Amino acid sequence: MPSSRFINVAGKKTQLTEGGSGPPLLYLHSAGGETEWMPFHEELAKHFTVLLPAHPGFADSKGLEEIRDVTDYAWHYVDMLAELKLKSVPVVGFSLGGWTGMELAILRPDLVSKLVLVNSAGVRLAESKMGELFIDDLAKLRALLFKDVNNPVIKLAMPEGLEDPRILLWLRAREASARVGWNPYLHNPRLAAHLHRIQCPTKILWGRHDQLIPLPHGEFLASKIPGATLEVFENAAHMLPFEEPAKFAASVTSFVGA
Amino acid sequence: MKCFAFHLMPWDRLPADFGDKYESAWTWLPNSLYDPKHGHTLYNRFLDELVLADELGFDGVCVNEHHQNAYGTMPSPNLMGSILARQTKRCKIAVIGNALPLYNPPTRVAEEFAMIDVISGGRLIAGLVVGGGPEYYSFSMNPTHARAMYNEALELVIRAWTEPGPFEHYGEFWKLKYVNPWPRPLQQPHPPIWIPGAGSKETIEFVAAKRFAYMGIPYFHVDFFQRNFDMFRDACQKNGYEADPEQLGWLCPIYVAETDEQAWAEYEHHFMYFAHQLLKGLVVLPPGYTSPRSLVGIHSAMKQFLINVKTRKEVEDGAYAIVGSPATVRDKLSHYAKKLGVGNLLGLFQIGTLPADLTKKNLTIFAQEVMPALQKLNVRIQAPAAV
Repeated sequence: MPSSRFINVAGKKTQLTEGGSGPPLLYLHSAGGETEWMPFHEELAKHFTVLLPAHPGFADSKGLEEIRDVTDYAWHYVDMLAELKLKSVPVVGFSLGGWTGMELAILRPDLVSKLVLVNSAGVRLAESKMGELFIDDLAKLRALLFKDVNNPVIKLAMPEGLEDPRILLWLRAREASARVGWNPYLHNPRLAAHLHRIQCPTKILWGRHDQLIPLPHGEFLASKIPGATLEVFENAAHMLPFEEPAKFAASVTSFVGA
Repeated sequence: MKCFAFHLMPWDRLPADFGDKYESAWTWLPNSLYDPKHGHTLYNRFLDELVLADELGFDGVCVNEHHQNAYGTMPSPNLMGSILARQTKRCKIAVIGNALPLYNPPTRVAEEFAMIDVISGGRLIAGLVVGGGPEYYSFSMNPTHARAMYNEALELVIRAWTEPGPFEHYGEFWKLKYVNPWPRPLQQPHPPIWIPGAGSKETIEFVAAKRFAYMGIPYFHVDFFQRNFDMFRDACQKNGYEADPEQLGWLCPIYVAETDEQAWAEYEHHFMYFAHQLLKGLVVLPPGYTSPRSLVGIHSAMKQFLINVKTRKEVEDGAYAIVGSPATVRDKLSHYAKKLGVGNLLGLFQIGTLPADLTKKNLTIFAQEVMPALQKLNVRIQAPAAV
């Protein structure tokens, strides 16, 4: 069973959930704020000790007022890994978490042994527009994020309406995401020029039907990060880990090599 | 009570299929729908309506700021305010307001407001606002910085008006080595400051503590105003003083005609066009614009918001608009003004597609047969005896 605790990361109270056994694996969550233990975390936990922190401003993690951009999130993880006395860990980052993972691998290459990027934010392509994440209409968001809007797993990923008890958690996640991703929209204009500095083996997973961050972004990252390989999931959109949990975990496990 | 004529300067020619084809009158509504030739007619007509209000004896006229929308085509209320400073002769000019985070640096607001104040001979009322949710999409401004930027800008503008320059300002969002705006405002220490709010406790307490004036964000059920104005009076008491009714403003659509029947017959479809077309997309609350808890509160208050009101009875019961003969409108406005304890009535006399002739008639009958009684009205709510 996973367990949650709070650790002090350079003065920021940070929620950290851990589960599974085996070597450590750091999972960096998306703007959706999947900070509760999800089926795909459980899949990964069969092979790894999965570390699932909530970024500042998400769930019960504090310190958003100190955060201005995703680079600040990356520095937060520099501090967190120091606090946990960890080095050279595999990092799996989904969307916002992938962006954070790339910035972490650029800032402190020795902290990241391998990098898995899943439908990652972080770069902007003029010829492939990203969708609008910051809308209130939950039905539209479901259509933006999932291949099948009737997929029962959607209930796990986002609240169903304003009466949903998770709504405050969701609104906090939206606020934190806007804080770092409103403008420049879901990217760091300087990141593309740094991608060649990512030294660790990198695997990129992408949902063929992603409308939020369309597949050309994955192809671009694969072309710019030295040695990176791209695996396209034909039956997934943006919410790939929710949509194909077993296949997602199998890909991560075979690449990271538990 | 003081009576103001508020103008939104709306776009009155949306296509017939607008309701089906477009989800919002804001931000993303294609600007190919704006016809500049018609815009020329509209702007001049709308300005004439405000000049007429001055001639008819209104205490003031109001303009405001919105961007990229059909609801109110006044991205720069200061341009309108400066025209009105010349074309009106005696009324107050309330610009409510300038959305401070959208001005870079915000000392522009101190400058432009001081210009209007000096040109008009000290007739400016300075509205200092955060800006609506849609503006944060239209300007790609980060809504999670909205409150912090607003607070810094507000303090800077007031300092720029009251503290001898040049001085330095080193804030989180702006770093200015030489703050020294010319001109300075004619009204000293500065023009009256009005701040609108949608009922958040933080805003109410802030406005009360600073002794500014609080304008209720419109289009809600009258109970919603009552709750917020009561909260404001409580907040003033906590700060050790009785709220002056002039510290409160109630924005309300008003239509007067010869009889109740005629008023509704002339007004209803124009009002409903406004309620169901132009309001579409107004209440957009980008993440971080206000706290998650306030967001949930506003979403639940939306049940008492005009866009969800369908019938004439609902409009009348909630006082979403005051419509009728001079006697009806006079009685209703007197009743609500006393109940709300509000010292400034900001009437919207033109709304949606309401044409020029009806707007002029509305303003004229109101000014002649309703306003004199309202201007004499004592709306002060007697403070409960100390216990």
